[in-house]
Amino acid sequence: MDKFILNVIHRPELVPEYIDTSAQEGQTEEVSKKEVVSESLDIFRLQQNIAHQNGLRTTIQMTYSSLFNDECIEMAKQYHQEFGDEIGHTFLGLNCKEFRDKYHSKELAMWLFPMDLKQKIVVDSFELFKDVFGFYPTSTGSYFLDAELINFIKEKYPMIKTAIATCFEEGPKIFRHTNSSWYTLMDGSPWTAWIPSKKNTHAIAENEDDDIGIVALPHLSRDLLAIMDNAGDMFGTHPQNIIRGLIYEDDRLPYMYNLVDQYQVMKKFNKGFSYNLAYVGPGWMGKGGRWEAPYRILKKSYEDFIAYYGHLKSEGKIQDMTMTEFADWFRGNQPRSGPLVGLWKDLLYGTKNQAFWYADSKFRVQIDLKQGGAITDLRPYASKLTRPCGAGTKANQDASYPYIVHSRYRAGAFTHYAGEGAIKSCKVRHGAEEVDVSACRTTGAYDEGEGCRILNIRPVEIEFANLTIKLATTYTFKENTGEILISRKFIESSDPNAKIEIDEFLASCWGTTEYPEDLTGCVLSVIEKDGSRNELSYEYRCREYAADNIQSVEAVIPHVQTKVSLIPQSPKCGGYYEEGYSFAPNLKLGVVKTIGLNEELVTCLKVEQAK
Amino acid sequence: MSQGRAGKINYRCPNCLFRDIDFDLLYDKEENQYYCRRCNWEGMEEEILFQYAAYKRKYKDMLKRYTVEDILAKDEE
Ligand SMILES: [Zn+2]
Repeated sequence: MDKFILNVIHRPELVPEYIDTSAQEGQTEEVSKKEVVSESLDIFRLQQNIAHQNGLRTTIQMTYSSLFNDECIEMAKQYHQEFGDEIGHTFLGLNCKEFRDKYHSKELAMWLFPMDLKQKIVVDSFELFKDVFGFYPTSTGSYFLDAELINFIKEKYPMIKTAIATCFEEGPKIFRHTNSSWYTLMDGSPWTAWIPSKKNTHAIAENEDDDIGIVALPHLSRDLLAIMDNAGDMFGTHPQNIIRGLIYEDDRLPYMYNLVDQYQVMKKFNKGFSYNLAYVGPGWMGKGGRWEAPYRILKKSYEDFIAYYGHLKSEGKIQDMTMTEFADWFRGNQPRSGPLVGLWKDLLYGTKNQAFWYADSKFRVQIDLKQGGAITDLRPYASKLTRPCGAGTKANQDASYPYIVHSRYRAGAFTHYAGEGAIKSCKVRHGAEEVDVSACRTTGAYDEGEGCRILNIRPVEIEFANLTIKLATTYTFKENTGEILISRKFIESSDPNAKIEIDEFLASCWGTTEYPEDLTGCVLSVIEKDGSRNELSYEYRCREYAADNIQSVEAVIPHVQTKVSLIPQSPKCGGYYEEGYSFAPNLKLGVVKTIGLNEELVTCLKVEQAK
Repeated sequence: MSQGRAGKINYRCPNCLFRDIDFDLLYDKEENQYYCRRCNWEGMEEEILFQYAAYKRKYKDMLKRYTVEDILAKDEE
């Protein structure tokens, strides 16, 4: 396969979320002002023209307010007729006079209404759409849609085939970036198209029974490395977001082309398929400019960006589809449960840094090659957590899928206390000396095997006082099993008789933000070779246990219904658990083995649903 | 002291920018000065532009073009 598919989406938003900079001066209760509407339609028309001039078809996402605007409805019909654009639907842009009169609410986020209102709005706006166009939409979207709402939509409106269901890694980082005022707290989803589980939108479906019935799309295609430590709203297929990040000089933004080209490279890791979604809301192209950037640059950046896609199309390197066409194509050509894979290289900071991403129905894993190939973010999709969001739910605004490792939110390799924060790494010991492999910068190479995806990490050199060694690491992801085989091989040594000790460890906790969550009641176990089990219920008492010859070590984190285990595949390995304490709120598991030159330790990291 | 207003250009606070917060500056006509309502930054337009330029320095490859071939070549490095 050789397929790079593009969705260009435009929405006529008659009261754009961003356009109204005068809001700060208290002039805007009258949000339906004529100029705003006409400017918004002008922007929509401009965006549509830019796409069509470059030979690209679009999906027009009709907002609630646009369904009351005759001019807009007429435009959509004409675009559909003349260019074959899809007339789709969105829950963005809900807020308008008609909406407020009917619902008496200023809420703007579809996923945050109470469930009864969500359902009412779905029926109301889909029926309104049908009245206007004579048919129901087959695509919809929001910044986030929880599984409970998608299930409702599918039951009532089974013709819906696809939705923009989340914004990739819009979570605490973006919340901070927006002065803690933009409540898109939804970390933890895949970065490209996927089929969600019926239980949780973020998690990839296990099988046909678990298939929620839509193809989910992430709002924008983002830079998989830059977003790890930065707000994603500066690093995506959205030129004005790039301008927001000040990644430009006058009207030059080569980074936006680099981003698209790196998404072309992603075909290499996904059996020839890659995907881009371009989706710029009208508020980003207002005549009044956006922050420091004048209209001239906002407009030109969009023209240049779309022209590049047009150029790729003319060279046969990209195929434009509407959202529904893409959903049909995806259903026919991509496996339901992934995997989705990305090996992303830095194209912005001038480093050799790389990040590896892997997702299937069991987990989403981020590996930071700069940290020796440590796992720095792990979301246990296997647990298929029921976690509805919005008013009246426990999570309310916090729509993220919880992590069980997050090295940036939860300290990782560097802490102010003895020991590490959340990270999956390995320590190498020689005599009294110890080196954490996460201190060794490296890069990776991708490979595939039968039913598995492989990340080969370039060997790292480790220097002890009287010994220099090289250690090679390989991750083998056994597709849709929840298992990763991690091999650590001792491949070079300044002393051929030297022995080193490998400590393959996982420091874990759970949460959705930077702040600690309760670990009380987690169960840590060491299971010895003879089957005996030493078990502990977490109480922050800093207890630990180790054994010389083990079957496995495991932790059950009931708060996220997840069991995580380290299972040595090599003979005669030791193992341990460490409980942690309130100033070091993690749990730790490890597998330990002493090896000589050309020997290896292979450990299986397994993530399962805990009943 | 007079009322702060949005300036002719809606600059973000450079100090807040450096700590990953987008926060609009206000402009004080009387003093010909921008200031931040969140932090203690205040200054002239030139200082804003100077700090924006400093902010951009972290993007060492900001103006560099990497094609598909360039990115694939990175795999072989
Ligand atoms: Zn400030």
